[in-house]
This record gives sequence, C-alpha cells and structure tokens, in this order.
Amino acid sequence: MEPALGRSEGITINSTAADKEYKTSGAKPPRRNSRQKQEIWRRLKNQGVLWFLLLPGYGWLAFAIFIPLLIMFVFSFLSDVPFGNRVVEFTFKNYTDYFSRSFYWKLTSKSLMTGCYTTLYSILIAYPMALVIAKVLPNRWRSALFMLVIVPFWSNTLVRLYSWAIVLRNGGVIDLLLQFLGFKPATLDILYSYPAIIVGLVHGYVPYMILTLYISLDRIDNSLLEAASSLGASWWQTFWRILFPLSLPGVISGSILIFIPSIGSFIEPRLLGGRSGTMIGTIIEDQFIQLFNWPFGASLSFIMLVIVLLLMGIMALMLARMRLLRTQ
Amino acid sequence: MKSKLMYLIVIGLLLISACTSSSTQPGTQKVDEPVVSTEQVTFRVLNWNGYGSDEAFALEEFGKMYNVKIEHDYFNSEEELLTKIRTSPATYDVLLPNVAYLQIAMSEGLVEPIDVTKMKNWESLLPRFKDLPELRDNAGNIYGVPWVWGATAVAYNTEKFPEGITSMNVLWDPANKGQVAVFDSFEDEIVFAGLALGDRTPYQPDDLDAVKAKLMDLMENVKTLWASEDEFNKLFANGDISLGNYWSGAASRAAKMGLPMAFTVPQEGALGWIDTWAIAKDAPNKDLAYKWLDYMISSQFYVTWDTTAGAPTPTTQKSLDALPEDNFNRAVMGTPEMIEHLVFMETMSPETREEWNRLWEEVKASQ
Amino acid sequence: MKKSIHVIAYAYAILILLFLYGPLLVMVLMGFNRSPLYELPFNFDLIWFQRMFTNERLLTSTRNSIGLAISVSILATFLGTLAAWALVRYSFRGRNVLQTLLVPPITIPWLILAVSMLLMFYWLKIPRSNMTLFIGHVGVALPYVILVMITRFQGMDRTLEEAARSLGASPLVTFFRITFPMILPGLVAAMMFTFAVSFDNFTISHFLAPQGVSTLPVEIYSAIRKGFTPEINAISGIIFIFSAVLILISSREIKFF
Repeated sequence: MEPALGRSEGITINSTAADKEYKTSGAKPPRRNSRQKQEIWRRLKNQGVLWFLLLPGYGWLAFAIFIPLLIMFVFSFLSDVPFGNRVVEFTFKNYTDYFSRSFYWKLTSKSLMTGCYTTLYSILIAYPMALVIAKVLPNRWRSALFMLVIVPFWSNTLVRLYSWAIVLRNGGVIDLLLQFLGFKPATLDILYSYPAIIVGLVHGYVPYMILTLYISLDRIDNSLLEAASSLGASWWQTFWRILFPLSLPGVISGSILIFIPSIGSFIEPRLLGGRSGTMIGTIIEDQFIQLFNWPFGASLSFIMLVIVLLLMGIMALMLARMRLLRTQ
Repeated sequence: MKSKLMYLIVIGLLLISACTSSSTQPGTQKVDEPVVSTEQVTFRVLNWNGYGSDEAFALEEFGKMYNVKIEHDYFNSEEELLTKIRTSPATYDVLLPNVAYLQIAMSEGLVEPIDVTKMKNWESLLPRFKDLPELRDNAGNIYGVPWVWGATAVAYNTEKFPEGITSMNVLWDPANKGQVAVFDSFEDEIVFAGLALGDRTPYQPDDLDAVKAKLMDLMENVKTLWASEDEFNKLFANGDISLGNYWSGAASRAAKMGLPMAFTVPQEGALGWIDTWAIAKDAPNKDLAYKWLDYMISSQFYVTWDTTAGAPTPTTQKSLDALPEDNFNRAVMGTPEMIEHLVFMETMSPETREEWNRLWEEVKASQ
Repeated sequence: MKKSIHVIAYAYAILILLFLYGPLLVMVLMGFNRSPLYELPFNFDLIWFQRMFTNERLLTSTRNSIGLAISVSILATFLGTLAAWALVRYSFRGRNVLQTLLVPPITIPWLILAVSMLLMFYWLKIPRSNMTLFIGHVGVALPYVILVMITRFQGMDRTLEEAARSLGASPLVTFFRITFPMILPGLVAAMMFTFAVSFDNFTISHFLAPQGVSTLPVEIYSAIRKGFTPEINAISGIIFIFSAVLILISSREIKFF
C-alpha cells in the first residue's frame, strides 16, 4: 500500500521488527526487509509503467521510421539499388557528387532561403492576426475565428495549389480584378515564378504560425501588459520588452513547424514555380521517380537533415546565450 | 456537461472508425470492383493513365469476352514503371514499357519471354516492328509486343502561327519569350537540343557543353515545364503558352477536344518512341495475358480507341488501313519517310543517364 | 481599447481570412464552372457534381481515405499521448535522446520516409497491403502527436491533480476524473490534426498502398496526369465545406486551448 502522500524516501523513523531483532541479537540483518522490498517493487512498477507508456509509440516509430531511415542511410553509401541482379558496392560517391557540383549547393541555399522567406512572411502575417484573436476579439468569437484559421488545413493540397494557379495566372482572378479596376497593364504576371512559390507556401503554412502564436499569446496574462502601461511604458516598449519575449516560444515552435517542411517542398515549386520551380526537394523527388538513383536521393536527404540539425543547434545556442545575457 | 459531450464524440468517432475501417480490408472497397463480388479473375494492368487500355469500352469488351475484371495501376514516368514492377513481384500481369526501357526490364529479369506462336495477331505487325532487335535478348527470345508509336515534336497554336512551323528553332526565337512549354525529361530535352543543333545522332552528342548552352538559351523562352498531357492542354487552353514539344497522340487528342493545336515534325527531326506490351515475370494470369496482347494490337480495339479518344500511330497494317485517308497518323506518321526522319529512343547506359540527368538538373537549377 | 484599434484589428483579420480562403473559394466555385479546362469567364453548371457521384473510383478512394484517416488519428493520438505523458511526467535516463529522436521524422521529407519504408518492407518480404499503408500513416503522424501533447502536458496545471491525490484519490481515479477531462480537448485537437494530415497525405499512400486500393490524394494526383476535370473540385469542395461546418460546430463545445 502506497502512502497517501506520495513517495517517501530517506530516513526511516519507525523501526521494524526485523530491525529490533538485529539490534538485540547482534546477528547480521536480513538482506532485504519489507520496506526495501516495497521500494524495489515500486521502482519496478514505475519502470513497467514507463515501458508500457513508451514502448508502443516509440516501438511503432522505430519500425516505421527509424529502421527504414537507417536502411536509407546505408543506402546512401551504396553504388546502386540492390534489386535483382545488380552489382552493389560501398562508396562515398553519392556524397562527393553533391559537393563536386556547385549547382547542388546553389539549390540548397535557394531552398534554405525559401524556408527563411516563408517563415519570415508567415511571422509577419501571423503575429498581428494572432494578437487580434488573442487580445482584441471578444471571447465568444475567439474560438470561432481560431477554427476558421484551422479549417484550410483540411483542404487537399494539390487542389488548393491549383486554385492558386487559377488566381495568379495571366487572365486569372487577380488579373480580372486588376482589369476591372482599370490598371494598365492589367496583369501581375506572377505565376510560374519564384514569388508564386512563396505565396503558395506561406498560404499553406501560415495557419501553423497563427496557431502556435495564439497559444503563446493566450497564455500571457493581460494584467502584465496593463501593469506595464500603468507604469508609464509606451506601447512599443510594452510590446518589445514584455509581449514579444513572452511570445517567443510560440514564434520559435511555429518557425520550426514552417521552416523545416518548406525547405523540402516539391509540390509548390512544381505547380507554381514554372521554370524557376527547381529546388532541392524536387531534385530529391526526381532521384526516386524519374531516375532510379535512390542512393543519391538518400544522400541528399541526409545532407539536408544534417544542415537542418546544424541550423537548429546554432539557433538553440544563440537562444541560450540571449537568455543568459538577459538575466545579467 | 462539456466533458460528457466530449466523451460521446470520442466514442462516436471510435464507432465510425470501426465501421469504416472494415472498408479498408482487402477484398472490399477496391477501386473498380463491382458491388456484388463475383468469381471473376482479376487481371492487372500497369499502364499510363488514360492511355487506351483503361478506356471504358475496352474494359467492357475484354471483360465480357473472357469474363475478367481488369484492374489498372498507373505510373507517371518510365522509371516509376520500373520501380513498381521491381517492388511488386508476381502482382501485375501486363505492363507497357517503352521499348528502350523494355531492355532494362529484360536485363533485370522483370518480364517473361513471349511465345509468339501463342498469339493470333503477332503476324499482323508491320515487319519494321516485328523485327525490332530491341525486343529480343541474345538468344532471340521475344519479350515485347509493339503496340503504338509516335513522336515527340512541336505542337503550336494555329491562331498564333497560321503559316505553320518548319524549324524547331522557332522555340528559340526571342519573339516567343514566355510562350514555350517543354517536357520535363532530360532525355527528351537533350535529344531535342541536339537535333536543333543539327546533330542527327543526338544520343551520341559530339559536344555536350554546346547542348547545355543551347538548353540554357531555350529556358529563356520557357514559361514552365510540363509533365503530363493534361498540364500542357490546360496551359495551351488558357493562352499561357502557344508552343512547345509534345507527343503526337496527345496532340491529336487535344485537337479532337477543340483546341487550336497543330502538330508538326520539323525539318531537323524529332524523337520517336515505341510503346510495347510485355508480360510481367510470374504473372498470375499468363494465358489471359496472351489474349490481352492479341486484343490490344487488334484493329477492332485500335479503331474504336482512335475514334473515341485519339491514339498514336498503330503498329499493324490492318489498323493503319482502317483509318481514314487523311488521318494524321496514317497520312503523315505512317509513311516510310517520316520513320526515317525520326530518331527513335535508345537504351542508354546508366552512366549516360546519370550524366544527362545532372546536365538537365543544372539547366533547371540555374533559372 | 481604443475604437480605432478595434477597427484596424478587425479589418486586418478579415484581410487575412480573405487571403486564407480566397483560393479555397475559387476551388469550390470552379466545381460549378462549366469549362473542363478551368477557363474563365465563369459559366454555372452542375455537371461536375453529377459526374462526381457516378465516378466510382473517386468515391471509393474518398471512403478509403476517410476510414484510414479516422483509424490512424485514433491510434496515433492514443500511442502518442502515452509516450508524451511518459516524457513529461517521468524523468529517466535517455529522456532527452527520445525527445531529440522526434526531430528526424519531421525534418525528412515524407518522400524519403515513404521510399525507405517501401524498401524495408521489400527486404522483409512483406508485400504492400492495407497494413503497410496503415503502419506508414501512423508512423508519420506519431511525432507530431507526441510534440503537441508534450506542449499540452507541460502547460498543464498540476495543482488539481495534486489536490485530488492529497484528498485520497488513487492514481487511477485521479486520472479518469481529473486529468483525462483536462486533456481531452488537447486529445481531440490532436486527433483532428492527425486526421487532416492523414487524409491529405499523398506520398505515403502512393508508395505503400496495395494494388487496387487508392486514397483520395492519390486519385487526384493520377487525375492530374490523365485529365484533371472539375469533378475533383466538386468532391474537394464538398469535403471542405463539410469539414468546415464540423469544425465550427465542435468549436462551440470544446475549448481547445
């Protein structure tokens, strides 16, 4: 029976019968008394619970994700896909190929920049929106608007992007609007270009940022802000010194949710980018679909993974340093 | 109160999932399966989507003739075809590789040798196709049945180019900037550029750097790359592009739909391709596969296909003869001169494939 | 707050909603447009809805998608919540490792995960089946669920639980009467999120679905190759409206965050 107050460790106050026996008889104490047995049993139970909680989820992940990824990692060092009667040997070629052509690095940096732009514009668009929802709107509308932001998640990506093409193309919805409003030339001429890719990406990912920012902002106590302004802080100071730092977790988690998928995107570039629609994601896809060069596709993917991990590591370091500086 | 409602929602969802998840068990809810399950054999075909064999009339005709249910699986590129057949042994019955890719399938043991004596219609194939060396291995076993063939050449908008087009270099004309769409395939584009440079053996280019420069030039005019027939048609219909390289069969289908599209093989030549039916290794229904091969190259099938949807050029004399005199396939594509003018797809070595692919990647990445 | 700020705020919110919903409205409207090639100007016609209801492939694949997504979301949320609970409430060696392990699945494009799964099944001589499809879908959804639930658990107020325990409630009772109702909105949110992720997932389905079974995104992708007619818009529009209504209704009952 566990004590009602939770775990108790440390010094025993009540001695047991066995203890008394030891003290009076001078014999060695038994190796395990019932208290220690309880302790071990409790630890085992905790362990058991832990395994029960973690094993199904992580076991599934291991089978569906980690082991296949490991196989992929091994793949990236093969010269060919081991199917049928192909000759296969170990090689570094898939990695040296990446570094030997300058255009792969150009594509990588283009993809990284795409990630940055998407994240940046998402923050710029989402922050005011999240503020409005969290702080300005009356309560009953807050839920509804929040849901309205989430609903676009449920549209099919391909159809959604194709609809963007209809909106952005020459003679499309926007152009018709411009014509109607009398602009000359009445065309944005944006489809099949890099900006169109960013539009498509931001449109798809900005709800993530609104979500995470909303959660963050919602938790911030309004009284903090009121206190600041009653102490004489301008709205800018209140924002920059109080609101923004407190909302930073939301900004960061949203940025991660956006940056990482967008650098590997291949549907938006293909549908909206036209001849500028080649990024590292499309190249990786090509290796698996167009060209049976899976080892190279595998190595490209792992290089991207390493780059992302490096970036995230740097960011984590920077954040830790910022926090350190702030507390001093 | 709120928590009770939420419990109900969760339980409701569980019930729904229990009901509908039974629908994802094998044997039910398969695409194309009739409502009442039957004792029919299932015949599996691996082909391009919307490319003849999955026409409604064909499924019905063949299905009735042999009491089978035909199930299609699709691919979006030849490589994907290979991937699917490699990773699904003993699943498919027949597949449609390009003859250049049939070789790869042969070398990997993915297809069965075809005993042509078991086929009724083998002899009706034009000699040029019947005797193709690429269908055979060193021992002389045949692995593919040529079905239709065509060319990838220039399609253009008749309203913008009323006098027609004679040279493929019109795609490089600065006056057509932003009006061009080209096929996203390294093989097609490198051969295309080679032909435009005047090289009649583009599979053995003398100067790959010149080809690269030519392609970079071309990209100045390109609005976007296309990867499917429908994509090209939509771009064309909306006026986004008025020019590009395109497949002959697809162009005839588009014209039938009412688009102002014309197709021409320019003076420099074009890329020719031949699609062949093959029997997959360990196919579950080999006898039916032979019936399928016969049906596919029968003129009965071809004529209906061409009149309802539009088809590339057939490989049998009978089918050709069954077409009206002025039909593009018969009048233009089927002539011996045209066949000489084309450069047919060749099987490339893996090293060449890789080199060409890198080149095309670099061209695309530099935009 | 000042009136003018209110006006600006509402105007901005409407603008952003326009941005979010604009293309979606176009998507729905195009289902009613006669031109099969998406040409403007707009001509109203119900032909695509009619065609859609007779398009057996489309309907079957939609049914498959829904069934799959529901089962995936329930199982993934269940397993993921368990794992997240362990990661937040227990401290043990290797906790950080496990948390870091959640990063690769999110970082690597689904294409890679799909192909690597395909390879693994091939080597294990497991043919593509509904089970492989299911395994793949749950696999990619799990990391998201775990991360979301970790955030949820971390932000949770423990005092209620502690109060219950000090009043004599056993761990099990505490869980069912106090903890579970508190996290239920988060659970439902996670389920809805995984549903959306699984329902819209093309890549995994494309590579792991068995012969003859198709899901809606795969069907749409093939349709893009063959002839992308507005039937796709019709069904996407219906699904979209339906899910929008569902979410809006449920938002009245459940406070998610």
